Amino acid sequence: MKRLVLLMVIVFLSSLLITTVATAGDTVTFTIPLPLTGSKAKFGEIEKRSYEIALEEINAAGGIKGKKVKLVFEDSQGKPEISRAIAEKIIDVKKQPVIFGEYSSSCSKAIAAVAEERKVPYLVVTGAADNITQQNYRYVFRMNPSVSYYTSGLRSFLKEVVKPRTIAIIHESTDFGTKGAEGMVKDAKRIGMKVVLKEKYESGAVDFKPILSKVKSKRPDVIYMVSYVMDAALLMRQIKELRIDAKLFAGGAAGFAIPEFIENAKDASEYVVTATLWSPMVAYPGAKDFAEKYKSRHGKYPSYHGAEAYSALYVIKDALERAKSWSSEDIRKALKETNIVTAFGPIKFEDREGYQNQNFMDTLVLQVIDGKHETIWPLKYATRKYVYPIPRWRDRR
Amino acid sequence: MDAVAIEVFLQTLISGLLLGGLYALIGIGMTLIMGVMKIINLAHGELMMVAMYMAYWLFVLFHIDPYISVFIVAPVMFFFGMAIQRFLINPVLRVESILPENQVILTVGIGMVLANLATLFFTSDYRSTPVKYASDAWYLSDYWRDSPIELSLSVPWTVSFTISVVITVALWFFLTKTDTGKSIRATAQDLEAAMLMGVNVERMRLVTFGLGAALVGAAGCLFIPIYYLYPALGGRFTLIAFVITILGGLGSTVGAIIGGLILGVFESMTATYVGMGWAPVGRFLIFIAALIFLPGGVASLLRSRRLGK
Repeated sequence: MKRLVLLMVIVFLSSLLITTVATAGDTVTFTIPLPLTGSKAKFGEIEKRSYEIALEEINAAGGIKGKKVKLVFEDSQGKPEISRAIAEKIIDVKKQPVIFGEYSSSCSKAIAAVAEERKVPYLVVTGAADNITQQNYRYVFRMNPSVSYYTSGLRSFLKEVVKPRTIAIIHESTDFGTKGAEGMVKDAKRIGMKVVLKEKYESGAVDFKPILSKVKSKRPDVIYMVSYVMDAALLMRQIKELRIDAKLFAGGAAGFAIPEFIENAKDASEYVVTATLWSPMVAYPGAKDFAEKYKSRHGKYPSYHGAEAYSALYVIKDALERAKSWSSEDIRKALKETNIVTAFGPIKFEDREGYQNQNFMDTLVLQVIDGKHETIWPLKYATRKYVYPIPRWRDRR
Repeated sequence: MDAVAIEVFLQTLISGLLLGGLYALIGIGMTLIMGVMKIINLAHGELMMVAMYMAYWLFVLFHIDPYISVFIVAPVMFFFGMAIQRFLINPVLRVESILPENQVILTVGIGMVLANLATLFFTSDYRSTPVKYASDAWYLSDYWRDSPIELSLSVPWTVSFTISVVITVALWFFLTKTDTGKSIRATAQDLEAAMLMGVNVERMRLVTFGLGAALVGAAGCLFIPIYYLYPALGGRFTLIAFVITILGGLGSTVGAIIGGLILGVFESMTATYVGMGWAPVGRFLIFIAALIFLPGGVASLLRSRRLGK
């Protein structure tokens, strides 16, 4: 029933859009699929605003090869079947030679399959599940590190500072959560930690106390969680409530790394560390400018998703400027040779460790100190000294 | 069983009961509407979302605690529910149509409209509980120093649960002791007989839909201190209410209470002893099992025992 309605809406929308042409005269139009409604709409919104900032900057500087850029956003509602339909439309109807965007892993995967089949290069911007770039796809590029590499910084922090012996892993039962947890299991093996518990949960759950009391009974040194923001805040609040005293609470990016986590978990968020890909204060060229520009317009700093989206347009611009022609094949070649530093960090697509066209980069570790995210690791980028060991719940305040 | 295992079990049981009490309140509203109108109100979760936004803004703008705003939000939701019934559902009830379940489809539409209006007005931002006591708890070891096990009882969860019980008891009195309550039950049991007895069925429908909305509105206020809100949250609670309604026996309030508690405890136990990822599976197992083995729900069990005596 619901699907039928959706289908009708799509058919209706696409009939409206057939009449628009991708490249007309001296403008070039890109259609970007994003979740603008539904439960992932928050992130879709951050990305949309970031694309728009990049768009203005690029157009103000003369566009791409003299052509003004125009962006059209299409709502995928965070549903793979809708993203797939949008991607097919972009390629078959609008004849766009390169495609980029989408937020979640499952949607990116759906588009990747279409792009590879139609031989149109697709730049994955935020989808982080490992296997997107592990399928020998030639036309799929990913600028964000895959989820196993989200934690490379956290791994070395654990190994060098915390030296834990046991770890409990809680993750949401999505593509992203499951892959993140599997990555941590591998990391644990690498640094000699025993995984005493690995549990998944349904995102949006109300009560985590049953699972947390089980975690408590295992007394792990580290509790590692892969969650989106509200689950993350609820988890930490309920950890505080149950007074679970692990040596370290660690989050795997996503929900733990954005400012809303602190707003929502309040004092329960103190001393929680998280892996992250980016922070508004990081020393990449343009990062701070972008963060400030975003803040002055929308009231708060963007999350790393914003930086990824903002930089994605620059990666596309760079590739289009170097491409011999704007055919899919030439753009693919140009993307393959990308080697630039964006506000999000260095971008270079490599084939290694079972990945194809994957960007590998250093990740950061943040810790909440005095109600603020501070970069604590790697030490050369640190804005503050890490707090370890952390006080027990009973002794706080 | 050693101390740790007992601690885990008791903590799980506590969580399950507290959760179940809140689930019951969500379920009762749907069950009432189901009983009288014979339709499943699929906008139930969205009504709760609307109530949650009300409670949230009452706190942020006027510093009214969500527990106090129950008394403001529930009456507002009562009239909102009546308005929906009067101006949207009633006209559809009268229309002859190919699909007999037109009203159910209408409620889906109402739900969608509410969710999208909320996105429009309040953006898709997640909003967290604004209250200060959100993660406060009572600890057994604070009262009994040498306790071998540590149990905690969350302050907001406990208060929410208690208010939910109070509301439920009040509802029970209303339904069994007052004229209006009796008329509602009569309408639910046999529409035509009720009409012949002079019950104003049209009005009972209005009151029931209002009451259902008020109950889920109260539940929304109680959820504010322990959960968070965003415009698309309705769906999952509609689903939970639906499962409870089926489990409890369509239209039975006592059944819904027991159904809610069973679901809460079952979910918590699944989370601890099977795995939290299995909670949604467990929910549907219960749903299907209830449909196959207990088509009348808990209510049919209650009824058969009463008849046996």
